[in-house]
Amino acid sequence: MSSPETLHAREAAREDAGLSTAYAAPRTELEERLVQLWEAALQFGPVGIADDFFELGGDSMLAAQVQLDVDLEFGVEISAAALFLSPTVATLAEAVEDAVKTGRTEAGGRTGP
Amino acid sequence: MTPPRAPDLAAPGCAVPDLTDPDLYADGHPLALWRTMRARTPLHWQPVAPDLGFWAATRYADVERVLRDHEAFSSEHGTLLSLLGRRDPAAGHQLAATDPPRHGRLRAPVHQALRAGTVDAHRTEVRAGIRALLPYGTEPFDFAAAMRALPLVLLGVLMGLPEEDRPHLIHLAFMASAEDDPDYRLPEGPRATLQRAHRELFAYFADLVRDRVRRPRDDLVGVLLAQRRDGERVPPSAVVSNCYSLLLGAVVSLSLVPAAAVRELGRDGGFARWAARPDLLDSGIEEALRWATPGRYFMRTAKRPVHVAGTEVAEGQAVLAFLAAANRDERAFAEPDVFDVARRPNRHLAFGAGHHYCVGSNMARLTLRLLFEELFAMYASLDVVGEPVRVRSMFLGGYKALPVRGRPRPKSQTRGGHP
Repeated sequence: MSSPETLHAREAAREDAGLSTAYAAPRTELEERLVQLWEAALQFGPVGIADDFFELGGDSMLAAQVQLDVDLEFGVEISAAALFLSPTVATLAEAVEDAVKTGRTEAGGRTGP
Repeated sequence: MTPPRAPDLAAPGCAVPDLTDPDLYADGHPLALWRTMRARTPLHWQPVAPDLGFWAATRYADVERVLRDHEAFSSEHGTLLSLLGRRDPAAGHQLAATDPPRHGRLRAPVHQALRAGTVDAHRTEVRAGIRALLPYGTEPFDFAAAMRALPLVLLGVLMGLPEEDRPHLIHLAFMASAEDDPDYRLPEGPRATLQRAHRELFAYFADLVRDRVRRPRDDLVGVLLAQRRDGERVPPSAVVSNCYSLLLGAVVSLSLVPAAAVRELGRDGGFARWAARPDLLDSGIEEALRWATPGRYFMRTAKRPVHVAGTEVAEGQAVLAFLAAANRDERAFAEPDVFDVARRPNRHLAFGAGHHYCVGSNMARLTLRLLFEELFAMYASLDVVGEPVRVRSMFLGGYKALPVRGRPRPKSQTRGGHP
């Protein structure tokens, strides 16, 4: 998929950013979309699915913005805790999937926060 | 109160101790040290890391100037020491972290929403909320613990915070500002405590703000969402950040004022004397604010080289304006270490000064007025009956535990005395 040179450049960029995680590629289409969304918000790439949003240079203001981007993109309300307290693409993808499922069963019946 | 003896900084081997050490504040505001600093080293350099440090200003005139002079001193690099050396990500969005002129446009609607008249409209609810915090009877109770819920009696109503969420929000607010206190610190350490509290609060308000976007309500969050900046709606993330800031500002500071006053009044029967003088209610509350000054300092960053107390501060250097030291400056207050409910004038800096003067000051003053009216109507005296415990923190000054026993007035008098 990628040449050894590209892979090397990727690793170098990630090393410069001081990330504690090794790069893990997105496994699903949903994860792929979330990675793109994060890369746009953070202006950094490549983002792996196990990377910490805040380690990648994100802050709370940006996280609040990404939460709303996710709302708009997927049409579901995910709890902000998913993004603020376990801030990886992998867990966020799970939260979105859960929200999509419960969203279907509740179909517009949501009232409180 | 006898003024504590001041260390002689000119004496050999005597130096200003590390101002960032939370244990320095174990006995409350270090009044003796500050008196000496004001006299000998009114602008003192405190190293924090090999190439990082801050200036500490302790005189009233200098502290007030640093807070007011936004041409020379910026708030956009954070106002608390934990942000030293970094830029506040909320700069330009959150009121407290935004410089004029943008600050003025962000502040106006919030100020409007919190002006005295609006706040006054909730008087009955606040009074009922206060009564619910105070036990009637002679059983000892922890006054400091009771007061932790005081700020949300009003702000909780204004922001529409569900009752069941409030205790956790209060705990998080203390984690976010007293990260060195054993009751609030996580086992992972102070930095992790700040981070966890910050993210949980942000997550909470992110959900709350989104809910208000979808289901608009006519409350303070609605006012924040309707804010405009340069003709455009402010992004919801800025609203989240301002909710966070309002909660923190109210919870950790206002809640510490009553206990500081009750502790001091308990030393010599001052409670009963003040209770007998309703004409001194307002001036006494200002004195309680001066005395408590729960937020010890605010940080500013020099935008250009500037002189403070005859010393040059270089561009980019941080200055900590110690409000609590300024509020005990003998140059500004006669007998500064005496709690005088009749003190006038009393131009204390407990709410800050200048553009960033506490946006919640009306809220705080009204709440304190109603609280002390209730206390005076309910109790003939309120005596300290156990060992007070202070918050362990460089930033926050006050008691986290204050065991007291009230001597209740007869019931008939209780509700009749103060309409």
